[in-house]
Amino acid sequence: MRTTAFAAVGIAAAAAIALSGCAAGDAADDGQVTITYTNFISNDGNEENLQAIVDAFEEENPDITVEVTTLPYADYGTALQTDLAAGTVADLFDIEYANYAQYQANGVLAELPVENTDAYRQSLLEAYQTDGTQFALPSSFSAVVLYYNADLFDAAGLEYPTSDWTWADEQAAAEQLTDAAAGVWGDHQPVSFYEFYKALAQNGGDFLSEDGTEVAFNTPEGIEAAQWLVGKSGTVMPTIEQGQGTPDFDTNLFKDGKLAMLHTGIWVFGAVADVPFGWDIAVEPGNAQQASAVFSNAVGVSSGSEHPEAAAKFAEFLTSSDVMVQVRLDSGWELPPISDEAALATYLEKDKPANRQAVFDSLDGIALPPVVAEGQQEMQDIMTEELVEAQSGRKTVEEALASAEERINAVIGR
Amino acid sequence: MADATTDTRTEPTTARRSPAARAALTRSVLLHVVMVLGALAMFFPFYWTLVASFSPGTGLSSTPRIVPDDPGLDAYVQLFSEVPFARVVANSVLLATVTTLVQLFTSATAAYAFSRLPFPGRTIVFGVYLATMMIPLQVLVVPLFAEFRAFGLVDTYLGALLPTFAAAFGIFLLRQAMNQVPVELDEAAAIDGAGHFRIFWTVVLPNIRPALATLAVFAFMGSWNSFLWPLVVLRSPELQTLPVALAGLQGQYTTEWDVVMAGSVISILPMLAIYLFAQKYVIQGVANTGLK
Amino acid sequence: MLVFLLPSAIPLALFVLGPMVAAAWISLTEWNLLAPATWVGLDNYAKLLTDPGTADVFLHTAMYIVGYLPLVYVGGLAIALALNTALRGRTLLRGVYFLPVITSWIVVALVWRWLLNPSNGVVNTVLGFFGIEGPGWWSDPAWAMPSIILASAWKDVGFVMVILLAGLQAIDPELVDAARVDGAGWWRRLFSVTLPLLSPATFFVVVISLINGFQVFDQVYAMTGGGPGGASQVVVQQIYDLTFRYGSAGEASALSWLLFLVILAVTVVQIRGQRRWVNYG
Repeated sequence: MRTTAFAAVGIAAAAAIALSGCAAGDAADDGQVTITYTNFISNDGNEENLQAIVDAFEEENPDITVEVTTLPYADYGTALQTDLAAGTVADLFDIEYANYAQYQANGVLAELPVENTDAYRQSLLEAYQTDGTQFALPSSFSAVVLYYNADLFDAAGLEYPTSDWTWADEQAAAEQLTDAAAGVWGDHQPVSFYEFYKALAQNGGDFLSEDGTEVAFNTPEGIEAAQWLVGKSGTVMPTIEQGQGTPDFDTNLFKDGKLAMLHTGIWVFGAVADVPFGWDIAVEPGNAQQASAVFSNAVGVSSGSEHPEAAAKFAEFLTSSDVMVQVRLDSGWELPPISDEAALATYLEKDKPANRQAVFDSLDGIALPPVVAEGQQEMQDIMTEELVEAQSGRKTVEEALASAEERINAVIGR
Repeated sequence: MADATTDTRTEPTTARRSPAARAALTRSVLLHVVMVLGALAMFFPFYWTLVASFSPGTGLSSTPRIVPDDPGLDAYVQLFSEVPFARVVANSVLLATVTTLVQLFTSATAAYAFSRLPFPGRTIVFGVYLATMMIPLQVLVVPLFAEFRAFGLVDTYLGALLPTFAAAFGIFLLRQAMNQVPVELDEAAAIDGAGHFRIFWTVVLPNIRPALATLAVFAFMGSWNSFLWPLVVLRSPELQTLPVALAGLQGQYTTEWDVVMAGSVISILPMLAIYLFAQKYVIQGVANTGLK
Repeated sequence: MLVFLLPSAIPLALFVLGPMVAAAWISLTEWNLLAPATWVGLDNYAKLLTDPGTADVFLHTAMYIVGYLPLVYVGGLAIALALNTALRGRTLLRGVYFLPVITSWIVVALVWRWLLNPSNGVVNTVLGFFGIEGPGWWSDPAWAMPSIILASAWKDVGFVMVILLAGLQAIDPELVDAARVDGAGWWRRLFSVTLPLLSPATFFVVVISLINGFQVFDQVYAMTGGGPGGASQVVVQQIYDLTFRYGSAGEASALSWLLFLVILAVTVVQIRGQRRWVNYG
């Protein structure tokens, strides 16, 4: 440790400070603008599809460059919240319908003028308006459906699922299709908040009270709905000890031909397209009524963006351009949020799966996720946590729901 | 300090082996076998990481192979082409180097004050310094984040560096070492007209080089491996450090585990080099902290 | 004097003590880091103290410590005792046992996540050879914390070993020999002579392990993220989630203070209690 080492302290520190200046460096010379976009919608298989839309936009707008960052869905919420708090959020970012209200209320979204409102499906557009002002644009919508392996149904001599199925039909088929010796499982449905609120709706119950300040699921309907999810585990569905619930576990099991029925969104059409067996989809079975989960993602412009016009331009292109419609329909990614029924009709003509009509039939009875003013994410996490407690046998379903009720009320009832 | 390896006792060597000696020999052989097996078990995860990084197409749930079927560098190529990994490594090197140098400086000066400069309330101030060891950075994340945001330090190297500039552990370590340096040396220098700066620089520091080396390794290691604060404060991908980038890789490459393992290998190597180079100081440093 | 003290005093004041006080103030507000904070008095504390989730995260943290501490201590002691005998290649062995200590928690977590993978993981594959069906490890709520403990013990056993080895080498061999002459067997010598004389090193290991144990985060974040279903959610992970996932910085700060008070209390109790069992001969 000589004098030079200590002299180096000063130099290195100075270098660090100098380098830190480069962090936010986007030089805007000759009118060229670079906007950043952080998304999760393209993660896991649709990255190139998103890039195709971006390329088309940049070709049409040579003075704008779009830098895309793609994050896994599981990390996205935390990353966005941190970036918003840090003031380092991208010019554009994805938001889910369930989180829209909370972000809007916190003032992180810029007003988003739309040139051609007619291009959008009105209900979707309105979902992202507050007091008549547009604060985000729907980028897609999608539904959760029942996938099934037709070969396994044939081998068991069973009829394929139809849109009239109820829980009892699904249960009966799942039991017959499960063959523990061969490692084949009859059914898979995630044990999570998203599945629970929907199952609850299918069973005629409500997640929240009317004024939205407390939960309303700790009822016989709620217990039955939770029982329906939790009870599959270890009987017709792999247990959590066997890896159920880990990322991509269910789609991989389905692709391996070891799963007869799978509850998941239409966004995995592409991922399972090339499996070496017959498969198709059906509307999810209901109990008291039919209710399908419909998800809508949106893109918003940060209220701190330095290039709001360019960002708004890209937001509209990303959500309503013909290129986007074409890419989404061709790839079987989530549905474009457009009003043009004729364009959507071509979606139905495509194969794999054949019964695409089921996607639209799902929209006849929809269950939107419950939305609270504050504590959305925490509410969702607590619900999933408690259901998994019940699934793993550490609590009874009744105990789990009672505990979830108490904990969620404490979060949302402020 | 006695080197931990120098032990004067030797194995009993008997020309004719009595039953007791034979039993002792058996025990000794057994102990060697157990210890070597244990060491192999300890080392195995490293070997496994290395093998995985050279096995293209390895997934998180791939069947394990002791020897790669078809070794290749694909994972490393992918790592450096798809992720700004060279930049990530450079960030970690920069942050660890600056942290180490600054911590040496702040620790040495503070240790000198506590070891050589009697001032009113010294014991209390030293007590406060030591107490900060009980306040983990983890519990300060919220206020630090708010503070750094207010000063525009979020997403800058400086933001990642500042909280590491002073550490009670280093001050404690160097003070212990300085207390071992005879005060007579200071006094002799003082008679020659040296002030505190000269004594600090030419008398005390040269005499605590092993402790400085130990602290240097620990400070570097602490920065190299630190996770929570860089995770929170460095937002841009091009500013990320190795552990944060690695944690991110696992989310993006669930099916390409060879890439994750290649990143792990790269993060281990520099520490391993430093460790092999300074093993004596590292182990001695740990040993000393426990003796006090 | 000031010249020598300021370089460390300023950072400690600005980045440790100041934030500590600020955290106390933030803990009395409701703040999502986006909108202005609103004063809520002691509401955050009241909520934390009545929320069963708080007890859970402290319970999981305690489970971690209770599983981890005996494992690293007994493991570290066994290795240190073996290395303290006339063993060939001791330096090399010691180096290998210490190797995980220099590795980052994230790497440790990633590697062990793979080794302990329920399907096809190395550990379960090896167990399979012996006809044992391995557990679901980190994918199973009951085994998630044991998985984290196992990986953590692997990383830290070398650290404990080095401290205990230094302690063992400071023991006067004549004391042990005297016990041997008196006819005391190996176990008797260990419990009656070696361990009492080793108590200062043991005390240090316990204090450090407890302080670090309460702060466990990196390996939990990378191995399980607190899951499955919150089964391995620990205090610091909860502070992180509250702040950066749920936007409840006030509640996070209140939890930070609770954690700090617990660490303080446990450390004070240990320092008070050390006279009963720590032998500074």
